[in-house]
Amino acid sequence: MSEYRRMIIFVLVLGVFTSALLMGVQALTAERIERAAEAHLQTTILDAHDVNYTAANFLEVFEAEIEIRELEGLSFYVHTESGGVSILFFGFGVWGPIEGVLSLEPDFETIRDVAVLDQEETPGLGAVITNPDYQALYVGKSMYPELNVIHDADPDDPNEVDAIAGATRTSEAFDTMLNNAYQEHREVWMAHHD
Amino acid sequence: MNLIRMKYTRWFNISRDGISRNNPIMIAVLGICSALAITNRVENAIAMGLAVTFVIIASSLIVSAIRNFIPTKLRMVTYMVIIASFVIVVQLVLQGFFPDIARQLGPYVGLIITNCIVMGRNEAFAVKNPLKYTFVDGLTNGLGYMWVLVVISAVREVLAFGTLLNYRVMPETWENWIVMTIAPGGFFVLGLLIWIMRSATKNYEEMAI
Repeated sequence: MSEYRRMIIFVLVLGVFTSALLMGVQALTAERIERAAEAHLQTTILDAHDVNYTAANFLEVFEAEIEIRELEGLSFYVHTESGGVSILFFGFGVWGPIEGVLSLEPDFETIRDVAVLDQEETPGLGAVITNPDYQALYVGKSMYPELNVIHDADPDDPNEVDAIAGATRTSEAFDTMLNNAYQEHREVWMAHHD
Repeated sequence: MNLIRMKYTRWFNISRDGISRNNPIMIAVLGICSALAITNRVENAIAMGLAVTFVIIASSLIVSAIRNFIPTKLRMVTYMVIIASFVIVVQLVLQGFFPDIARQLGPYVGLIITNCIVMGRNEAFAVKNPLKYTFVDGLTNGLGYMWVLVVISAVREVLAFGTLLNYRVMPETWENWIVMTIAPGGFFVLGLLIWIMRSATKNYEEMAI
């Protein structure tokens, strides 16, 4: 019985010790992690609109070049010089959430750039969505009326993009989240800019 | 008896075990998953090597410090909890201070938890030895892991991207080897490296008859 009690006490002490360690490190890094995520979003949007920046001045460049319009609870990142617009998309992939930025030309239909901020897909398969060569397939395609991510896509069809071989479920999820985000934002955008 | 004792209590003996004689990757063939996955660039290899070294040292030291209190039945669970905590620490620090590297290493930082080298050193060494030897053992095993990673990634980065630590070393006409950017390329390089090292050090497995 005393051995049993010793085990419980040991587990409790170990639990308290490790939780304290983790809470301490979390408190120290939480602010920096948030700032790093913010910076990643800002540089991704700047990249999408081909704006030059350096690691030191991206914040000023972002504030000067990009205007954030909040309409009915949705954020639109407008590049004032070209009129291009970036919106955020979010959805669930095969293993976890996928987050990214969809950038459109001023007509709000043609894709300018697709970028993924965060994902947990299978390395080498679903994670191909982070590959610049794959993302380049989306450029110039049209989100309106709907974008289809399918196998054997016709490269001349403006609404079709090739799905990733071996990652059908990631491709389907990517298709859904892009279209959902686009439709949701399009309604609001069109209501304010006819 | 004195001979056996000396083997465990001389820092150079422990060091030689970790770095060459019992190198965790090349001789024990542990930690192969991460050695293949993240060695396409030297900076990733260095970051991963440092992260693993830190986790081995920190978890080994804690295990060694409390080795007389750990109930025998809870040994493995205790290692896991301690290792997992330090891996989360590494993950948070990387995300906070080196977000680019954290993004490139992706899920492999979290997977340090399952790296056999860490748990192997805890069970094989830390739980039976005093703090100072444990520190040397953890450090040298981490470095043994890291130098192999750096060698593999140096070969792969030059062949795959024509760069070394992001500096261009190959002429502009260099044709990138796509196979080296993916895991199979790592397999080839690691296989050749193990072959060369074992031939050079005459380290052969005993033949089963």
